[in-house]
Amino acid sequence: METRLRILLLSAVLAALPGCATVRSWFHHRPPSSTESQNDDQAQDENAPPRVIEPEVARRKITVPKIRSRNVEMGLYYGELSIEDFGSHPVYGVTAAYHITEDFFFEAELGRSKAGRTSFETLGGNIQLLTEDERRFTYYDLSLGYNFLPGEAFLGRGVAMTSAFYLLGGIGGTDFAGDTKFTVNFGAGYRVVPSDWLALHITVQDRVFQSSLLGTAKLTNNLEARIGATVFF
Amino acid sequence: MARSTSTTPSTQRYRSTELLTAWSTRARHGALAGLALLTLLAPAVGSARGYLQLFVTQPYLELHTGPGRGYPVFHVVPRDASIDVLFRRTDWFKVRTEQGVEGWASQGDMQKLVLADGTRFKFDLGDRAGFTSHRYEMGIFAGQYGGATLISAFGSVSFNTQLALEGSVGNYLGKFSNGVTGDVGFAHVFAPEARWSPFLTIGLGLVHIEPKATLVQAADRTEQTAYVGGGVRYYLTRRFFLRAEYKAHYIFTKRNENEDADEWKLGFAFFF
Repeated sequence: METRLRILLLSAVLAALPGCATVRSWFHHRPPSSTESQNDDQAQDENAPPRVIEPEVARRKITVPKIRSRNVEMGLYYGELSIEDFGSHPVYGVTAAYHITEDFFFEAELGRSKAGRTSFETLGGNIQLLTEDERRFTYYDLSLGYNFLPGEAFLGRGVAMTSAFYLLGGIGGTDFAGDTKFTVNFGAGYRVVPSDWLALHITVQDRVFQSSLLGTAKLTNNLEARIGATVFF
Repeated sequence: MARSTSTTPSTQRYRSTELLTAWSTRARHGALAGLALLTLLAPAVGSARGYLQLFVTQPYLELHTGPGRGYPVFHVVPRDASIDVLFRRTDWFKVRTEQGVEGWASQGDMQKLVLADGTRFKFDLGDRAGFTSHRYEMGIFAGQYGGATLISAFGSVSFNTQLALEGSVGNYLGKFSNGVTGDVGFAHVFAPEARWSPFLTIGLGLVHIEPKATLVQAADRTEQTAYVGGGVRYYLTRRFFLRAEYKAHYIFTKRNENEDADEWKLGFAFFF
């Protein structure tokens, strides 16, 4: 009995001793370390040669390449322009657009056509209302465009192209019959984008300006329908 | 090793095969070295290509078929995958995945991506901060020039938030004359951070006057001008702002008397 008790107590003491050794660290909140080894380290530090290689941890430097912006769209168009009282004639021109947001873009247009003869001239025999130079119909305009109805156009099973309808409205000038008139334009178009750089357009536009060529001052509507191809830059 | 010391023909054959294998291993090592070189060069080639590589940190990145919220999502890039940024159109970025799928990611989603060093991808957003500080401005105006109707366009380059070099062209259409104006000058913006920010302008220009043929003096003329003016900008939304402007033009004629013309205009402009 006595030996059993002694063994039990001894084993309890043995178990408790290592625990007691950590008591210091309970209150100082640091891992136990021998002061002797610290002293040794210090001695070694004094004797050791200076460190030759300093570890350098440099942060990786990333150079961000400039991301290309392709917001500019330039192109050509060809169509038919109906000049009020002067018949319908082919029209051709250039456009330049800048896409500001996914919804809005600015567009500048420069177009040219040639007016025919009015019915008055045709019926009146030799009467010439305008000279050949004055029959040249040149216009420019600055418009704001609004993209709506975005969608996709499908060609067969394999090809899908993004598309959008857009509305156009703006101001400009029309040089016709020896005078430049302030012109308001509005219209709508359909744009298909087969690739990142190319776009195809079908546009209908009305150009309204005041004219007093045939006696009384009146607002003339000059409707234009055209197809165009533009390139994104 | 025994083979290399042997003198039998067969050994010779062996030796030749050993040579062959030696050559082949050397060739293989060469090819490996070449491959290693290629892989070393690959980043250089990548940088020459100039595409920015970004990493997806959000659960997924949606790719649309076109640059607009109305175009459908057709692909998602999972977290931790990388993408190459090909180019930008308005607020959308055309990107390519590791598998070669190309699509459009929105500005809002692109803001959540990180660069290779873990920092967030930052770029120019078309917002109010951009209105305060930007590089270029463009816009169109309608207004009056000396009593005639004016159609005008302008562009500007900013040196800082307050000082900009501006150029504008205009076409005026009046009862007595038509004409074209062009001028270049400086603009100073007060309180560029304010939604309503006033500015002053000063500069030089030219005006080409075409009197109407019905008048006696029918000769076209081009005169030098100088102007001083002021106006106000009003931030609308995104990249847009309104701009109202007045310019007092002094036209230096070749006659005894100089002329002046008042220009009032209101326009719609954007910055980028």
